[in-house]
Amino acid sequence: MRSPEEAVAPAVVALARGLRAAGVPAGVDDELTLCRALGEVDVRRREDVYWAGRATLLRRIDDLSTFEAVFGLWWEGRRLEMVGATVAEQAESDPRMPGPQHGGESLPQFRHEGRSGHILDGEAMPALRPIELPSSADEQPGEGERRGVLAAYSPNEVLTESEKLGLGADEAAVVRRLADALRMAAPQRASRRRRPAGRVGRLDVRRTVRGSLATDGEAIRIARSHRTFRPRRLLFICDVSGSMERHSRVLLASLQGVVGADIKAETFVFATRLTRLTTTLGSPDLAGALDRARSAVEDWSGGTRIGEVLAELNAEWGRRGLARGAITIVVSDGWDRGDPELLSRELERLQRQSRRLVWLNPRPADLGGQPLAVGMRAALPYIDDYIAGHDPHAVGQLVRLVHGLGAGRAVRRQRPLSATSSQQRR
Amino acid sequence: MGEALAAERYLVDEGLATVVFLALRLRKPLLVEGEPGVGKTELAKAVAAASGCELVRLQCYEGIDVHHALYDWDYPRQLLHLRGGGTGALYSEEFLVRRPLLEALERPGTVLLIDELDRADDEFEAFLLEFLSDFQVTIPEIGVIRSDRPPVVVLTSNRTRELHDALRRRCLYHWIDHPDREREVAIVRTRRPELPEALVRQVCAFVEELRWLDLYRVPGVGETLDWAQALHTVGDGELTADVAERTLGALLKAREDVERVRRGHLEELAAKARDAVA
Repeated sequence: MRSPEEAVAPAVVALARGLRAAGVPAGVDDELTLCRALGEVDVRRREDVYWAGRATLLRRIDDLSTFEAVFGLWWEGRRLEMVGATVAEQAESDPRMPGPQHGGESLPQFRHEGRSGHILDGEAMPALRPIELPSSADEQPGEGERRGVLAAYSPNEVLTESEKLGLGADEAAVVRRLADALRMAAPQRASRRRRPAGRVGRLDVRRTVRGSLATDGEAIRIARSHRTFRPRRLLFICDVSGSMERHSRVLLASLQGVVGADIKAETFVFATRLTRLTTTLGSPDLAGALDRARSAVEDWSGGTRIGEVLAELNAEWGRRGLARGAITIVVSDGWDRGDPELLSRELERLQRQSRRLVWLNPRPADLGGQPLAVGMRAALPYIDDYIAGHDPHAVGQLVRLVHGLGAGRAVRRQRPLSATSSQQRR
Repeated sequence: MGEALAAERYLVDEGLATVVFLALRLRKPLLVEGEPGVGKTELAKAVAAASGCELVRLQCYEGIDVHHALYDWDYPRQLLHLRGGGTGALYSEEFLVRRPLLEALERPGTVLLIDELDRADDEFEAFLLEFLSDFQVTIPEIGVIRSDRPPVVVLTSNRTRELHDALRRRCLYHWIDHPDREREVAIVRTRRPELPEALVRQVCAFVEELRWLDLYRVPGVGETLDWAQALHTVGDGELTADVAERTLGALLKAREDVERVRRGHLEELAAKARDAVA
């Protein structure tokens, strides 16, 4: 006679393996917990098994759609190898559409669907990964626009069109220098945690009294503590559409080198939709993630919808406090095909949450002599610092700015930037 | 389980009932996430009340440390003890100040609510790991304190920060969603029995429609309760655009949302809500 736990074990192992194959981390200890859980519920009822499995194997709501796909197949007794394909189909459908729902509830499920991790995190499962990499040749409008940060740093910049994934030797040098500069800039914020100090700092009553207990309650040594600092979050929102991609890629690669050291950065890239790169930033798959982000843009090369992208950022991430207290840096030329009013509104919201909103525009006057792109004009009133240009001077300006913005009192521009004032400053 | 919680005026769907049941049976901590206002904290209170346990609550904040969460020494008393010529050990249970975690550990049969864990920092989360896996703590001066009957632990998070996987692995996980309309009606009816049913139904229909709009801050059940109360106080038992406009502040907490609903949808939504009920 087998115990109930033993009876369900093979099935539980199969489910967990199916989930792992689909990219949901489910450990062996989770399997054990599920076995125990199934001993407590009615294993003939789908609902009971579903909730037991969901409570034990699912760790974040973003993985829900994957979990439901895998669970559905598993419950029907079908082969779980098909899961990758099924999930990929879902991922390609509009994420705002209501997805498969559990228990027949009529909830506005799309809020979760929009967050599903394998789309936003760029951590696609194998089936999702595009096998043929999109060529960027048709997205590069021409020689004249391939200047940017890179050109500024290395005069003899020549890159073949076919090179996409790796960084060239000269590019790598630029990346290193930028990374060093950023590392130096590491902005900080005051932490609420205090640390024992020597002779300076605030009186630490607890440690003073504690020390005095050894000397019959006479405080012979005064203990002090000083405040500590932690890295302040940098939130990068980088335009990767068309020729902006080159500028952004150098910046991102630089970030890759410094994240974790003293820099805490969240990174998003966008063209027509938002992709979160942070989870990928530390891994070697940055190039792959960038390519995936770009593959979503091909029909839009040359134009972006910054307003919509910012709205998505605010709704999905801003509400959870990602931008709160962060130094937000938008890297874009402001060449926007969307609604400028939406852009203003969402940027204002983002600015209110951020400690400081910096806009880095590497291609300020690139648009056939027009003074400023429409999107840029709409954005200006809500920007604390506008940095234009693609020379070392501009990048140095950004680094200096970021460095000065860390601890201390938050400062905000009293008079909004306008198109004329920024024109004059350039 | 569902009935026991309903007796405490906390209505759950089958999923949450199953998960709470499992958390109690398996003695696993329960990590609850969800939008603000869906009743995460209330869940812990209801579980405590339903199981007849005492609720011990630890509110997290940045910089929370062992001395705020676990234990501290009562230095002033130790000092007085010394000055008064007292003898005996200074670091004994007598001078121990018990903070919520230790309290929950020492008193059998408690529900421990660790609220808004995402507000605490990484260091505290790491400290919790040890606590949650073994339900024992080490106080250097006294020794190891462990519990034969570990407390029921409910952790909540608003996802302002991603919690570590190591912590998630030690917990059962549940995402509380906004309730569907029928359940929300039931919740409001349970919590505010004095309100007329017709109004409650209209309010819930209105709020349900509202949740489909792309609002910045989607109202939770808490706001629905407040708003229903406000409408009842101001109006005459009917959801009209006029009364709704005056009380909208109880429901929507972001200026943009209030303006948006006021400008575009109020009349239409109110009519729709009345129709849905009639």
